[in-house]
Amino acid sequence: MRLQQKVLLLVGLVLLGSAAAAAAQDAVHEIKLVNGRFEPSQVVVPPNTPFKVRVTNADKAAIEFESFELHRERVVQPGETITVYMPALAPGQYKFFDDFHSDTPAGVILVQ
Amino acid sequence: MKWRSTSLIVIGLLISGQLMREGRTNPPVHSDVAAPTDVTRALRRACYDCHSNETVWPWYSKVAPFSWLTNHEVDEGRLRLNFSEWDEYASDPDTAAQKLSEIAHLVANGSMPPWYYRTLHSSARLSAAQTDMLARWAEHQTTAYQSAPR
Repeated sequence: MRLQQKVLLLVGLVLLGSAAAAAAQDAVHEIKLVNGRFEPSQVVVPPNTPFKVRVTNADKAAIEFESFELHRERVVQPGETITVYMPALAPGQYKFFDDFHSDTPAGVILVQ
Repeated sequence: MKWRSTSLIVIGLLISGQLMREGRTNPPVHSDVAAPTDVTRALRRACYDCHSNETVWPWYSKVAPFSWLTNHEVDEGRLRLNFSEWDEYASDPDTAAQKLSEIAHLVANGSMPPWYYRTLHSSARLSAAQTDMLARWAEHQTTAYQSAPR
């Protein structure tokens, strides 16, 4: 392999890596509250990569999207969609719930 | 005789209750909310025992059943709002804004600090001026976080 080809291959790999990292950082996961349930109730994300969660409240009452482990707390009005910024997380399970409705089953963000 | 047996049972329960030690811990402080000196002073006096990792544990927190209640209050308080982990909230500016908005609301309407805590801790009783100062600071910070770049 010539030197020129090696340089081109290296540049290509670096660009690919950067693009993959940027895409992972911008990853947005959708969660919808429908009929008193989070859908999906489990979101799987890769470790050590910041991400966003877009929460839509499709019910008729305000909810409070909350997670003690993730230090997140946001009121979502009926019909509203919010974006929650999440930090890079270590592998594990992080519970989230609706603090306004204790009967709504909790969901989990699974980092693996 | 009946009174005596009941008393012995109660005393026995109280003594055995002392053996059930719960963890009175102060985990490491990772961060803190930035505020003017007067606000920080008021927050530390009125809020930090339950809402930070810098709890000053009172003497009665060593005596059951008060120790169970105190531990429960501190655990719950730290879960809901922990100033020692403020950077975690601030990494999602709208979460930080919501926390501050709740502080403004609960301090202004007298729900926080709770009456039973104020009764036992005279230093946590805020004057009208201090209440107003805290509420106005929290409202101002709410707006600042709401308009922070994403």
